Amino acid sequence: MALQEDNLWYKDAIIYQLHVRTFCDSNGDGIGDFVGLTQRLDYLQELGTNTIWLLPFYPSPLRDDGYDIADYTTVHPSYGTLDDFKAFLTAAHNRGLRVLIEMVMNHTSDQHPWFQEARSSRDNPKRDWYVWSDTDTKYQGVRIIFIDTELSNWTWDPVSKSYYWHRFFSHQPDLNFDNPEVFEAMWEIMKFWLDMGVDGFRLDAVPYLVEREGTSCENLPETHAIIKEVRKRLDQFYPGRMLLAEANQWPADVRAYFGDGDEFHTAFHFPLMPRMFMAVKLEDRKPIIEILDQTPPIPENCQWCIFLRNHDELTLEMVTDVERDYMYDEYATDKTMRINLGIRRRLAPMMENDRRRIELLNGLLMSMPGTPIVYYGDEIGMGDNIYLGDRNGVRTPMQWNGGTNAGFSFADPERLYSPLISNSVYGYQVVNVDSQRRFSHSLLSWMKALIKTRNSYRVFSRGTMEFLRPSNHRVLAYIRELGNEKILVVNNLSSSAQAVELDVQRFKGYIPIEMFGRNLFPRFGDLPYLLTLGPYQFYWFRLRRI
Amino acid sequence: MADETFLSDDLLRQLMSVGEVDLLVGILSHRSANTVRRAAHYVEKSLQQNFVRQRVAIISVDGGAVEDSGSEDHSGDGQPGNNSNSKGITSLRTIHRVTAAFNGAPSPGLALRTILSASDLLRARGCAVVSPATSSTSPEWVANLLRPAFRDSFDFVAPLYSRHKFQGLLARNLLYPMTRALFGRRIRELYSDEWAFSNRLGNFCLNEDVWHEEPVRSRPEAWMGISALTSDFRCCQVYLGEKPPPPDGAGPDLVEVLRQTVGSLFWLLETHQQAWLERKGSEPLPTFGPDHAVTAESMELNRARMFEMFQTGVKELGPILESILSPETLASIQGIATLDQHSFRFPPELWVTMLYEFAASYHHSVINRDHLVQALVPLYRGKIYSFLTEFSEASASDMEAVSENLCMEFERQKPYLTEKWKAGIEVKS
Amino acid sequence: MRVTIVQGLEQAYYNLVHMIAEFLPRLVVMVVIILVGLLAAYLLGHMLRAVLRLTKLDRVSEDAGASRVLRMADLPSMTELLSRSIFWITWLGFILIGVSVLGVAGLQEQISRLFRFLPEVFIAMLILFLGLVLANFLSRAALLASVNAGIRSPKIWSWSIRFVIWILAISMALEELGLARQTVLAAFSIVFGASMLGLAIAFGLGGQDLARRALERYLGNSTKEKYKEPQPL
Repeated sequence: MALQEDNLWYKDAIIYQLHVRTFCDSNGDGIGDFVGLTQRLDYLQELGTNTIWLLPFYPSPLRDDGYDIADYTTVHPSYGTLDDFKAFLTAAHNRGLRVLIEMVMNHTSDQHPWFQEARSSRDNPKRDWYVWSDTDTKYQGVRIIFIDTELSNWTWDPVSKSYYWHRFFSHQPDLNFDNPEVFEAMWEIMKFWLDMGVDGFRLDAVPYLVEREGTSCENLPETHAIIKEVRKRLDQFYPGRMLLAEANQWPADVRAYFGDGDEFHTAFHFPLMPRMFMAVKLEDRKPIIEILDQTPPIPENCQWCIFLRNHDELTLEMVTDVERDYMYDEYATDKTMRINLGIRRRLAPMMENDRRRIELLNGLLMSMPGTPIVYYGDEIGMGDNIYLGDRNGVRTPMQWNGGTNAGFSFADPERLYSPLISNSVYGYQVVNVDSQRRFSHSLLSWMKALIKTRNSYRVFSRGTMEFLRPSNHRVLAYIRELGNEKILVVNNLSSSAQAVELDVQRFKGYIPIEMFGRNLFPRFGDLPYLLTLGPYQFYWFRLRRI
Repeated sequence: MADETFLSDDLLRQLMSVGEVDLLVGILSHRSANTVRRAAHYVEKSLQQNFVRQRVAIISVDGGAVEDSGSEDHSGDGQPGNNSNSKGITSLRTIHRVTAAFNGAPSPGLALRTILSASDLLRARGCAVVSPATSSTSPEWVANLLRPAFRDSFDFVAPLYSRHKFQGLLARNLLYPMTRALFGRRIRELYSDEWAFSNRLGNFCLNEDVWHEEPVRSRPEAWMGISALTSDFRCCQVYLGEKPPPPDGAGPDLVEVLRQTVGSLFWLLETHQQAWLERKGSEPLPTFGPDHAVTAESMELNRARMFEMFQTGVKELGPILESILSPETLASIQGIATLDQHSFRFPPELWVTMLYEFAASYHHSVINRDHLVQALVPLYRGKIYSFLTEFSEASASDMEAVSENLCMEFERQKPYLTEKWKAGIEVKS
Repeated sequence: MRVTIVQGLEQAYYNLVHMIAEFLPRLVVMVVIILVGLLAAYLLGHMLRAVLRLTKLDRVSEDAGASRVLRMADLPSMTELLSRSIFWITWLGFILIGVSVLGVAGLQEQISRLFRFLPEVFIAMLILFLGLVLANFLSRAALLASVNAGIRSPKIWSWSIRFVIWILAISMALEELGLARQTVLAAFSIVFGASMLGLAIAFGLGGQDLARRALERYLGNSTKEKYKEPQPL
């Protein structure tokens, strides 16, 4: 299956996020690799996703799960070779799967040759590739992102006897984009991968590219100028490739990263994600509606990326203090579950393994405007291990079957890069791909059906959204519309059955057809349309006028 | 169970959408959009600040003359628009605003019944009632009322206020001491515009068949309070703050006030006689915050006219008072009515005896009950004149001592009332 | 001639005996009817009393406030009142039937006239009774209202209302009885009109200042300080 020629393909994408290390080990060293991943591409195709987002696979000391990069133009030997990657890329494209890779522009590992050179002497040509200072008082008041481990954004370098700036871990010094050489060097790296055929980049930590005294050092105009330049070159030399922004900001602030359609193609909608969890717990649609009401419109050629979980903690930066406390109390009662300003748990454990809630959240993910991202393992309801350090609890090996090492590797279990989840609820013996493939009522089968339905109608990926606001606040209902195609989505956020009257007078005469069973429902008339929903139930109706 | 047929379809539909709540706050109609809106604002603010995680709803009982009482925004959703301030999020949950509309201003009893019904159907654990008439209502008031009912399992929460020593004289000289002496619980503000109750008490009251009775229609809070005090319910008081006087000309006149309060108190004595006839002494109620407070700044009042009206009343209502009071009591009152302004005093003993005779006569329906209560008005004026004259320079602590003495006098003479009450208690056939 | 007298006397004696012989049975019948009527009235009254007690009419009457009215008018309870009324009405009916059996000329007509008149008497009594109660009630209400409003000479208002209602009730009762209808109507109109005229003159002449002040207050031009009641609650 060849990739379709469509410069707006990312609007219709369903992205599957994974780390090559976690997916499949082909050579028995206990670490997933590209050969193993290539062997599992049929699974991804079968699931219905059409884009793979790979977490960093570059050479790295792995002190930040690969986001501390020591070499941008090759593959970490644990994951294979560059040729393995190329073979994977070809195999993916042959199956109609696009590939996004990480590009960490903001910082490198302190083991990167650039930094090693820069710190060696104040006269080194690469000295100015990083942000140095003789004191740690510059850029006062700028927030620390990794508050659990870092005390300052400056760290003393004993080698060059000065401070260097880092917005993340101290072993991740920030690059200095005021130096044009840095930009050009990064562009060359991007070209390297683009020439190989990757379909786009997730640019990590973009808000922090540039620093200026007296500011928050986030979202500065100079940062946007850099992105515009990247985009300009991309469009010129590599049309149809995509840039995805990782900017953990309020929607209004993220809006700037779309520019006038001349910066990022896509950006994560971070604030929506915790509010979906909040809404289900509160049994109240208010958090979702409030944040989407505040979300500004974006250029036609741009798209939000929405997600439920990812490799990081469920971030609670973009919520109010009251909301954060609520989320902690409801979803992270054990303080071990909390890290930085977030919750390091997977979807299924957060939903207490309640199938109905898992389905509801996935239904929301697939029906709301934006490109949905599925985190590996969530499609089978994998569990987590909060006792592993950092955020590693949500990065355990993929569970393929109930056999040795869950089918992830034939190495000795002790050699695995991470222990498997093996408890009686989420353990690989219980939760795995093979067992779920056998039954049509499994979560995996259900996810496939859901993704298939979503893929069948472009209105989900490109349509407008209008909230209906029935007086029952436990029901979240909206209309997706694209041309003549109209879809009504009704979600019961509550644990009890609900009745709701929908004002659908605008659609008088339309016949709602439930999309999973394809059954007809009574036609819309003059009166409010009465629906009843079971606990956590949702409907997708296609509205036909015949 | 709430009587669903009593509620309009529109209100039921609104309640259906709200679902179960933890807290409900009722705002009684006041025929003024601004005051209802202001009260709703304070209530909402209080709920947002103090009950962040609870499911809450506000119900305003609207007499139909109120504009914009929130009925256009039942769900409290954030409105779409140009608000790009990402921190414009005001509350965790939807705060529901429900409006119960009536043709014309509903009576307080009907309004309360509506609120009780809503509370029952929504299974609210705690409910508070506030009135837009109180200009000093603040978010803290609402929170202070709700907390004992919601968190501390109290069934009835009465307010306490800080007042000027010459405010609330009817309560100070009649309602409070009489209620205390007879029902045995020291509840200061039985007749108030703000109070709170639990689901348990709300259900109990809702199922009582008294809503057609005039005292319940005009002063339902008193009936509710007495029902709570005389049954197996936990009651308490909570200090709210200063209660300013209503603006000049606002509120019903004295005759109407006495009709509503004293009339309802006498009726309550009748309907709850089993509870108080044999009770002795009185106990304090659990109180949150200061017991109450009295300020003692000087205040100008026209007392001469008051005394004149007392004298006229005693003289002109002689035949009526004859059928209410005993000859000795009437003679005593007629005696003091001949005193001049400066030496006039209404002794507390006489005041109490007189009130008890009024209560007993009310019970025996010696004359039309409404007329009986009206006949009390000039005598009350005399008492107040005496009070104001005697204590114009008194300090706050002196006032408290005087009040306490009066309360003890009521308690001391209770057997007299019991005796008069029981005399001829059976209905002649 | 002696024979004629004797014959005449014999004839008269015969007529008298005949009359008595004719009258006596009717008298006996009358007495029997009256006695039967007494028994029937007693039984009826007794039965009604039992039935009304079963239906708890006294309680209903108490709730409706009628019992209080009766007590104020020094009448027995509703049950007793109705039972006794039925007794007397029944017996009176039987008495009148018994009397009519006597066949006294003209008496039957009078008795039937009396029967026709009875309902009107009853209604007139009812009107008077209601008028009395209403006058009592309203005059007392007026007295209380004017005392509490601080109006001077409150008894004038009270008595005026009582007087007017009495006059109205008496007039209506007399009209119901059909006694001197035109006279009563005229007298009532004169008295009522005169009273109103008198009051108007008295108010107009004697209450000029009061009227002026009332108007000033109404139009908001008054500078005199209003009476301010201390806040009761």
